[in-house]
Amino acid sequence: MRSKDILNNKPSAAVAAIPITIILLPVLYSIFTFAFAQEKKGTEQFLEMPDAVYTKCVRDTEYMRHNHWVLLRVVREDVVRYGKRGEISLKRCGECHTSREKFCKKCHDAVSMKPDCYGCHYYP
Amino acid sequence: MDRRDFFKIAGGTILAGTSGVYAIRRLTGSIPGSTVADSPLTGKKWGMVIDLSKCVEDCTACLDACRYENNVAFHQDERWDVHWIRKIRLESKIGTTSTEKSVILLCNHCEKPPCAQVCPVQATYKREDGIVVVDHHRCIGCRYCMIACPYNARYFNFKDKEDWSNTDRPKRSHGVAEACNLCAHRIDLGELPACVEACSNVGEGAIMVGDMNDSGSEVAKIIMAEAVKRLKEDLGTEPKVYYLGL
Repeated sequence: MRSKDILNNKPSAAVAAIPITIILLPVLYSIFTFAFAQEKKGTEQFLEMPDAVYTKCVRDTEYMRHNHWVLLRVVREDVVRYGKRGEISLKRCGECHTSREKFCKKCHDAVSMKPDCYGCHYYP
Repeated sequence: MDRRDFFKIAGGTILAGTSGVYAIRRLTGSIPGSTVADSPLTGKKWGMVIDLSKCVEDCTACLDACRYENNVAFHQDERWDVHWIRKIRLESKIGTTSTEKSVILLCNHCEKPPCAQVCPVQATYKREDGIVVVDHHRCIGCRYCMIACPYNARYFNFKDKEDWSNTDRPKRSHGVAEACNLCAHRIDLGELPACVEACSNVGEGAIMVGDMNDSGSEVAKIIMAEAVKRLKEDLGTEPKVYYLGL
């Protein structure tokens, strides 16, 4: 008799809130951590600033951040297969970004990617 | 519409759509990459002449220069040694008299390279200017090219080279096949290969490199005028390394 009552009653707002919070918890967590990280961002330098030999990089920063690998791959193809030795090379990268431990490795470690350039190419 | 028609229309639409998108991206230039057509190498054909009468028997200037320039893995151990250029002794016997000769051997940069024909990933290929190059980024180390090469000019990297003699140039990590690339990096900049430079500085200038298509070059003149020989010409690989006095 009693259990039938419960089934017939509509669930209260408090009961409904429990599964909704459980579902929203990871979403809220990521929003809070993102907001927290935004505040912290200004204080800490993740990458070492380049020892500027050139005042500007070969492409703008936003392009290099996402597409440096495309650029390097295209240049590699141009040099090795078509003999177009232009101004872009891994050696020129090293003139400003002097240390691979402090530059390349930082991001590549963070996303656990291992570029295999340095097995053959010299980069200090 | 029956089942057969549905597949025809659906397949056709997908094919047209994907190829159309690819064509648009290719034409508008959002897929980067070069083609053979805009290569600066077209029209040239690099060849080499080795004058064995000038080659001094115990001189190793070219070998040392090559090992230094290209970071060739030379461990002083014949199991792992890599030679881009090497010196051997040939003995020819006619009747009772025998003559010995020391001969320089290297990649012959064939016009029809068997190594490039067998390479399953097109890592070995002939550049537009006739130099046969290994793209070590692509090489998977299958060693077909070593079997195909009739001159035994190819070597495999069984062991990494630890020291780095010339930091301007890359070395090879273990697991790739390699051979002489006629110092393509120097030739592109208008310089002479390391062995040629060393031979003219230290030795007698026995090795010469030049453009065979340019009839004014020293190499083209020698090939036209003198009795030059190539190695294993009967195989039809058309090597571009010519020997004087072989």
